[in-house]
Amino acid sequence: MQKHNANRPAVMDLLEHHGGLAPGVSAKVSEETGVPEADIYGVVSFYTLLAKPGVARVCQGISCAMAGSDALADALQAKGEPYEKVSCLGYCDQAPVQIDKDMELTKHGPRGSITPDDPALPINLGGQDDASYSALKAFEGMDPDAFLDQLQGSGLQGRGGAGFPAWIKWKAVRNEPIGTRYVVVNADEGEPGTFKDRETMLRRPHRLIEGLAIACKYVGATTAYIYLRGEFPAPRRALELALAKARPHLGGLDIRLTMGHGAYICGEETALLEAIEGKRGMPRLKPPYPTQVGLFGEPTLINNVETLACVPEIVLRGGDWFKNLGKTEAGSKLYCISGHVEKAGVYELPLGATLNELVQAAGGYVGTPKAFSPGGASSGFLPMEHADTPLDFKGLTKVGSMLGSAGVVVLNDTVDMAAAVRWQQIFFEDESCGQCAPCRIGCRMQRQAIDAFIESGDVASLEHTEDLHWEMEEGSICGLGMVASLPLLTAQKHFPSEFEGS
Amino acid sequence: MTETPTELTLTLDGEQVHAKDGETLLDVCRRAGKEVPTLCAEDRVDPMGSCRMCLVEVEGQRRLQPSCAFKVQAGQVVQTASDKVKRHRQLLLSMYLADHELDEDDLPRERGTGNQLRQHVLDHGTGPKLPAINAPREYRMENNPYIHFDPEACVLCNLCVRYCDEVEAVSAITLAGRGAKTTIATADQKGLLDTTCEMCGGCIAVCPTGAMTEKPSLASDFREEEVVRSTCNFCGVGCQVNLHTQDNKVVRVTSPPAGETVNDGNLCIKGRFSMEFIQHEDRLTQPLVRGDDGALHTTTWENALKVAAQGLMGVKEKYGADSLGFISSSRCTGEENYLLQKLSRAAFGTNNCHQCAAT
Ligand SMILES: Cc1cc2nc3c(=O)[nH]c(=O)nc-3n(C[C@H](O)[C@H](O)[C@H](O)COP(=O)(O)O)c2cc1C
Ligand code: SF4
Ligand code: SF4
Ligand code: SF4
Repeated sequence: MQKHNANRPAVMDLLEHHGGLAPGVSAKVSEETGVPEADIYGVVSFYTLLAKPGVARVCQGISCAMAGSDALADALQAKGEPYEKVSCLGYCDQAPVQIDKDMELTKHGPRGSITPDDPALPINLGGQDDASYSALKAFEGMDPDAFLDQLQGSGLQGRGGAGFPAWIKWKAVRNEPIGTRYVVVNADEGEPGTFKDRETMLRRPHRLIEGLAIACKYVGATTAYIYLRGEFPAPRRALELALAKARPHLGGLDIRLTMGHGAYICGEETALLEAIEGKRGMPRLKPPYPTQVGLFGEPTLINNVETLACVPEIVLRGGDWFKNLGKTEAGSKLYCISGHVEKAGVYELPLGATLNELVQAAGGYVGTPKAFSPGGASSGFLPMEHADTPLDFKGLTKVGSMLGSAGVVVLNDTVDMAAAVRWQQIFFEDESCGQCAPCRIGCRMQRQAIDAFIESGDVASLEHTEDLHWEMEEGSICGLGMVASLPLLTAQKHFPSEFEGS
Repeated sequence: MTETPTELTLTLDGEQVHAKDGETLLDVCRRAGKEVPTLCAEDRVDPMGSCRMCLVEVEGQRRLQPSCAFKVQAGQVVQTASDKVKRHRQLLLSMYLADHELDEDDLPRERGTGNQLRQHVLDHGTGPKLPAINAPREYRMENNPYIHFDPEACVLCNLCVRYCDEVEAVSAITLAGRGAKTTIATADQKGLLDTTCEMCGGCIAVCPTGAMTEKPSLASDFREEEVVRSTCNFCGVGCQVNLHTQDNKVVRVTSPPAGETVNDGNLCIKGRFSMEFIQHEDRLTQPLVRGDDGALHTTTWENALKVAAQGLMGVKEKYGADSLGFISSSRCTGEENYLLQKLSRAAFGTNNCHQCAAT
């Protein structure tokens, strides 16, 4: 049991400072914080950047693997340099990538592209970042209910993956009984294929900070947290600079930057809260939802970077304007694209754009496309029959997939589907938090099944994949386990000939 | 003033049942006699909802919900044995089996005082037999005299950790690692003796599978054991103990279930593990008096008390009452301590009396 005045939120930074998982470090951090030593050991062994500090990391995520990241690992191996293979580094547009012990990019392919400057776009990555905070000022002159009408009218759906209407959460937190409340920015972007928040923070950090400030003022929070992926030092620098510049506009609002330490699951909103509190990133049971019981037990609004970055222009130009930017659903959307396309990158298109439209923006396909993932590993694979299906929240769910974080990955016919499935299943096995049995056991089983199939060509290796998927979907605590079998299941469904065995 | 929780009604497997606001579905199921299997639930700690055994179907919810944590609501319609719930239980049990040490019958090995996972498999059946996952568990505890931990029999219900934290307030152990590698560990994998562990053995008591067991009792088969209720006499608290015996020897000590006795399911290191004194050859079992030959001889209680009284009175007469002192054992009850100080003050006339647990 921790001491009454224990400083748990300091645990992670102290662990990093003292060298992570090494004998004696947990004891030292325990002394400094009043958190029991065993608890601290539980934390340090959970986060990969703490459990294995000071080594180079090579990405073996699907886009990097297709771009030949094995060669990077082999080179390090040959040099005898210590390194770790990880299943996502968040630079799929620049595949294949490697980072050094300080998380800085040391090896990468051509830089990704973006949509060129177009002031008609709400985020407009290509534009000059605007530090005037005019939207914040405009918001302050608005009646809160009139603002909510605009937000509701904009149809803005959460951009973190679930597509939940933003206004409902904002209203819920505002309406909680008087008391402390928090706003938390989910900048833990870790879904393989996704790097839009990274670009937003690098290029338009003031958009995010302004959206965040509006959120805080609206719900009545005086402290906000930005939980930033640990492997993102460049966005960190951009945010720190922007925060310093923004300060005079923020009226004393306390915005804290908390770094992640290598755990995809901390992108799940309740695991993220646990991480900020200095604990193992294991998702909480819902209900209660964070809007009621969130950070440190207080009502908390959690939004994705892109969601908040849309807000300033909604304030300035109105809900209808934003809504009408969309095709099948409201607004424009940052789509990430990588894999077998000419110019991987982030493109801001009307929500509901199709794969073919997106690839057109990205300079066309490389080779003959065969399959794609519309929303990262969690969305499984779709065949090219869906190249003209709108990439939106509702429509993709109907075809057994999802838009998720809009991390689109294209695979051409040089890729063997079983190999592609394997990369994704490795990702889920690595990233399951391990607290609930369906996911902890199921993720490993599905990876072993595809491995066994690849090795033996025996279809019997795959005979239980559907049962496992059913149980993981039905019985897991959080979204990770619920979708973790989709790469395997959707590939089996859409590409049966590749799973007939030999 | 405490508010009385409002009564409400819900439908459980087609029948109307009453519940109070704030209760969980598991509370209601238990009261109604429903067989809802659990692994990670235990009344003394907060629900975690992670073992997923107790999931039930709640109308209006997209997925099955953990009854141990899901709160009752008026008008709820709940199913504890629908086809969906049954399929879930069997598949989940199949998965657990693939991550558990099995015996010759492909059932979870029994150890300690039984394995609830095995019982669930027998009660609910399983789905297909799944290949073993051979989880790479890197963390293991070292030796200590009392607590054996077998990661291959652990279902990671986290009860041991939560008990150690929430009930004992000791936090000697933790979940460590991530994903399939997750296991129960100590800081830096030190031996328990080098941690804050108090060897209360509560982690053993709450473990549903026997992955944590009493090391001194490892060789004993719990089905061969007879259970005798007794009162621990190591101190005055009066914890109730169940002495497990085989061939008239105590081989294991457990506590009666939580909620039934003063110790609420808890014991300390002495009550749980110091059982060897009962059969120890040095244990005094009858009164002894030293004879003129300088050796101890068995005698009657009557004589022994007489000899002691004479000796004490002799010292008092020769050297005065304050040359005597009385110290009582921490094993005495409050009443016994009272009597001893009365003996000291009223019978012998000295204030030199003390209790060894008072500092
Ligand atoms: C396994 C998992 C990983 C997630 N990762 C992220 C992430 O990296 N970034 C993010 O914004 N949301 C992520 N989410 C979604 C969040 O839980 C949450 O829905 C989101 O942050 C809410 O913000 P929004 O409403 O603005 O989308 C993830 C969800 C799950 C289940
Ligand atoms: S589904 Fe997976 S990631 Fe989510 S809580 Fe369960 S084990 Fe953890
Ligand atoms: S014996 Fe008691 S103190 Fe030691 S680990 Fe177990 S529960 Fe914690
Ligand atoms: S040792 Fe027992 S109580 Fe602890 S997590 Fe494993 S099964 Fe649960």
